[in-house]
Amino acid sequence: MSIAIAVGLLTAAAVYLFMQRGMVRIVLGFVLASHAANLMLFAAGNTAFRGVPYVGSGEVGEQADPLPQAFVLTAIVIAFSITMFMVTLAITTTTDDDTEDVEVSPARLLAADRGDTKDAGFFGLTTESGDIVVEHGEDETGEPWPEKIPGPVTPAETQEGDAR
Amino acid sequence: MTLMVLLLLTLALVPIAVVVHRALGRDTGFFAAVALTGIGVATLPWLSTLIDGGVFEEHLPWIPTIDVGLSLRLDGLGMVFLLLILFIGALVMAYSARYFSVKKKTSDYYLWMLMFVFAMSGMVIADDLILLFVFWEFTTLCSFFLINRSGDKAAAPAQRTLLITAAGGLGLLTAVLLIIVETGTTRMSEALSHTAWQDNTTFTSVVAVLIAFAAFTKSAQFPFHLWLPDAMVAPAPVSAYLHAAAMVKAGIYLLLRFSPVFADSTLWQVLLISCGLTTALMGALFAMQRHDIKEIMAYSTVSQLGFLVAVIGIGTPTALVAATIHVIAHALFKSALFMMVGIIEHEAHSRDIRRLNGLSKTMRVSLVVTVISSLSMAGVPPLLGFVSKEHLLAGFLSADMPAALTWTLTCMAVLAAIGTFAYCGRIVLGAFTGYTGAGAKDEFHEPIDPATPHEAPASFYLPALLPAAAGLVLGFIPFVFDGLLTRAGEDAQTGTYAAEFALWHGFNTELLLSAVIVGGGLLAVALRARLDDLIPRRILPFTGVEAVESMRLGVINFGRRVGDITRTDMHGVHLAAPGILLAGVFIAGMVVAPEVGEFDPGNTRMTDWVLIALLVCFLAGTVIAENRAAAVVLAGGAGFVVAAWYFALGAVDVGMTQLLVEILTVVVLVLVLRKLPKRFHAVTRTRRAVSIAVALAFGVMAFAATFALTGRRGQTPVAEWYLENTYEETGALNVVNSILVDFRALDTFGELTVLGVAGFAILALLNSSFATSDNEPPASRQWSGTPLDHPGDNTTAMRSVFNWMAPFIVLLSLILLLRGHYESGGGFIAALVAGGFFALRYLVAPSDTSVKLRFDYAMVIVGGIIVGAATGLAGYLEGSFLRPVVIAEGLPMPWGSDAGFSLTTALIFDVGIYLAVIGAVLVALDRLGQAQRYPAELLKAHRRAHGTSESDFSTVKVPAGYHADPGDLPFEVQADESWPGVLPENDPRGVNDR
Repeated sequence: MSIAIAVGLLTAAAVYLFMQRGMVRIVLGFVLASHAANLMLFAAGNTAFRGVPYVGSGEVGEQADPLPQAFVLTAIVIAFSITMFMVTLAITTTTDDDTEDVEVSPARLLAADRGDTKDAGFFGLTTESGDIVVEHGEDETGEPWPEKIPGPVTPAETQEGDAR
Repeated sequence: MTLMVLLLLTLALVPIAVVVHRALGRDTGFFAAVALTGIGVATLPWLSTLIDGGVFEEHLPWIPTIDVGLSLRLDGLGMVFLLLILFIGALVMAYSARYFSVKKKTSDYYLWMLMFVFAMSGMVIADDLILLFVFWEFTTLCSFFLINRSGDKAAAPAQRTLLITAAGGLGLLTAVLLIIVETGTTRMSEALSHTAWQDNTTFTSVVAVLIAFAAFTKSAQFPFHLWLPDAMVAPAPVSAYLHAAAMVKAGIYLLLRFSPVFADSTLWQVLLISCGLTTALMGALFAMQRHDIKEIMAYSTVSQLGFLVAVIGIGTPTALVAATIHVIAHALFKSALFMMVGIIEHEAHSRDIRRLNGLSKTMRVSLVVTVISSLSMAGVPPLLGFVSKEHLLAGFLSADMPAALTWTLTCMAVLAAIGTFAYCGRIVLGAFTGYTGAGAKDEFHEPIDPATPHEAPASFYLPALLPAAAGLVLGFIPFVFDGLLTRAGEDAQTGTYAAEFALWHGFNTELLLSAVIVGGGLLAVALRARLDDLIPRRILPFTGVEAVESMRLGVINFGRRVGDITRTDMHGVHLAAPGILLAGVFIAGMVVAPEVGEFDPGNTRMTDWVLIALLVCFLAGTVIAENRAAAVVLAGGAGFVVAAWYFALGAVDVGMTQLLVEILTVVVLVLVLRKLPKRFHAVTRTRRAVSIAVALAFGVMAFAATFALTGRRGQTPVAEWYLENTYEETGALNVVNSILVDFRALDTFGELTVLGVAGFAILALLNSSFATSDNEPPASRQWSGTPLDHPGDNTTAMRSVFNWMAPFIVLLSLILLLRGHYESGGGFIAALVAGGFFALRYLVAPSDTSVKLRFDYAMVIVGGIIVGAATGLAGYLEGSFLRPVVIAEGLPMPWGSDAGFSLTTALIFDVGIYLAVIGAVLVALDRLGQAQRYPAELLKAHRRAHGTSESDFSTVKVPAGYHADPGDLPFEVQADESWPGVLPENDPRGVNDR
């Protein structure tokens, strides 16, 4: 009963954080969700038995199930490494960890620096639609690609991203 | 030679030809022709056995658990196709040697053609249903690659061909699986003689439709005919083989092979006859519309295949034997004709009959070959085509139907045959004379000068001459086929029938019909100019190709629309689909099992409520917090509560792990936070309200699921087994650790690998992409000049403590590692303690550069995984991967059971775990904790975009002895004042010491 409540609380907090902006909140949500999952594994092993599951440390009839413990132990470490990876994603951006901002892509920044506005990397790479917009051409449907030719990146534009 | 050897030889020919191609170039064709002829001749001795009614069978186990094997079986029917595949293949190969120019890249052509020969040979001798399907699909793929390699315009037709034929392949797969399930065997010969075909008519009908579908796509039957003319982009030899002996004949083979079981199926008859005759008439009509001789040929194949399908549908013994002889006749004349198309194309540089003009004067041999083959196709005596057409007509007349229907069908066949005659005339006259085939509505094309083309060399036309001549000679002696085709016919039906082929059968109905065909055909040729005006060039407002193309694009667009649903950066939307699914499962669960029993006593204890109270506080804080640091710390607090709960649940090892991981997580997150803004992004109030509602819903669901599904079944048998048997099995006292390194070591090994991959992914990401810079709030500047601005001094006390503690932490880590089998500890926990050592070292340092690790910690991960794998291999000493092997027993150590400390490979495996986890922790700490190491170019770009000029740091001199790290900033950048924390190592100043 109590563990079910804990699982519910952790899940609710995790889902709430998932639905916010910014990678760090998602990472925290992920950490809480992993707690919820681990506790649920313990619940599956039946929390009515809480003795330390070592040989000779108590009656077999009172000891906890060692299998979920082994599962959870490795799950914690794996969740840690995935958390670290997600944290890395949070900082490999040009400004901050916002997940819903149309940010200046590094490739575009680089192209602007070279004065190389014909570079394919210069165009598009907007995170909003997820596709690369090139000067002109056709996709498989035969519809011409949008004629969106963004101007060169100016410092002002980049700082606008900062300000957000 | 055995069947297996035959198959191996055709397969071996593929790599051999690739090697030979290096030396011979395009002449590899001659080599392949000789090889295929050799194989073909080697099969001839089998003929006598086959004609006597024998079969060859071989079996080699392949997937014995599901009873699938390399079962090969050669009977009369298979032999007819096998000979065609090998000998027509040899001719086409010889032809290819001169068709392609020396400059053309042909190595992949020979590769795929010979692969095609292998696939087709395998298909006609396969006796295993799965094997049949595999070879069937193999032919599909070979044809795709052959078409696809023919230039820029070939991709779209190749894809369409693949889509249509692969769809048919799925039909065949479904049929094959149904048959295996229904008859319980994968052997085709056994399955086809099973009683289920008679007993279960639904099954028979479904399979009939599926087999017909598969064969129709392969044999280009209406409405799947369009890929064949579409595939005309492939060079002439590919077409010759595809049309004469391979691909399209595979469908015919399949129909003949399954014909016996559908003898009584009206559905089968209706399908085959209606589609076949429609295709025959339609193909003839389309051939009359076209001007490209290759396209005319393609439609003629479609039409001829229609004949074959229809006559197989008739299903009488006469009809099936007629089908087999027509397969042979068609292979001969069609291969010759396609090779002639290639020659004309080569010599006259055009395939358009509006342009081809007067070739009859310059290309005599070509004229003769084309005329003989065309007459054979038109069914004119004394050619083999006449014999086969007579039999086709006899087959239609023999139909087991009411006379009126029989005659209707026969008349349609006669009409299609007249069409055949007419388009044969169109080919011959169009290509070799001034006849243009252009009606009033066709545009005019300038005819070529008759003097420019000249005859092809003999080595070029000889491969085409041979089948044409064979068609002529065999017309006089068709009785040579009697024996083989009698058997082939019997293999395709349930009854027996003795085939008797002859050029002259006496005066009978068939002869009369043949006369009608020839007469009608001659009339059509004579009135060709009027027909050209009469026949519309387009019948429907769209072409088949357009229809398929729009379907293909429709599917792609549909996929795009489906993808649009989640094509957003709002991750909440991505989670909608799985969320809805989970909610569905939850509701289903509530409906199915609304009653749950009582919990086992002791499930909930007083301490739990204390923990829940703490958890609520921390979670509420995490959720509400708008400051990043606060949220991270509060979430860490929640993690500690969970860790405490683990201890309360008797999980000492898990609790320790959780505690250590939580500490490390918070440390790394705090290190990362300085690169990010202080506060979270604001969201709208509506969004917050929706988030709360959704979060509460999922919280309730998670609660209900855990509440309803756990805690009511006592101690599990697995738990009891582990607790009672672990000591005997492994000698370990700590059951949890033993499960990790002994019982489920393979799982653990997999997890190590995941850790390693995550570590390397972090490295790769940071080494290749741009990252946010350190976020230094202006407020921090106010400390400048105060004692707070001296990190070196400020950390002295902590450093002293660390210096004293460090050896103990390392010692503790090693102790935990060693005693894992007996008391709390083990590789995971020990490694996290060691990680704690590094984290502490990090925290007490005055600047991040002074703790930079100078060894390649990524290799530590690799070392750990290698140790794990090596231990696993050592397990083979005891019989299986990762099985622990005892090295020494009864060692005098502070830990151990009554029998002392025993050293097993499980401990070495634990060392592997230890290393891998340490490596992953080091990657996270060092790379995420350091100031950014940008790819230098991106950094410069970033600085420029932010208004700092490059010249500011271009004049810095690099001091002697400066050791550059590959991931470091360029030295110029490090020296720059505005970039804190990236000073060279030998600089005594800390981050804020300025």
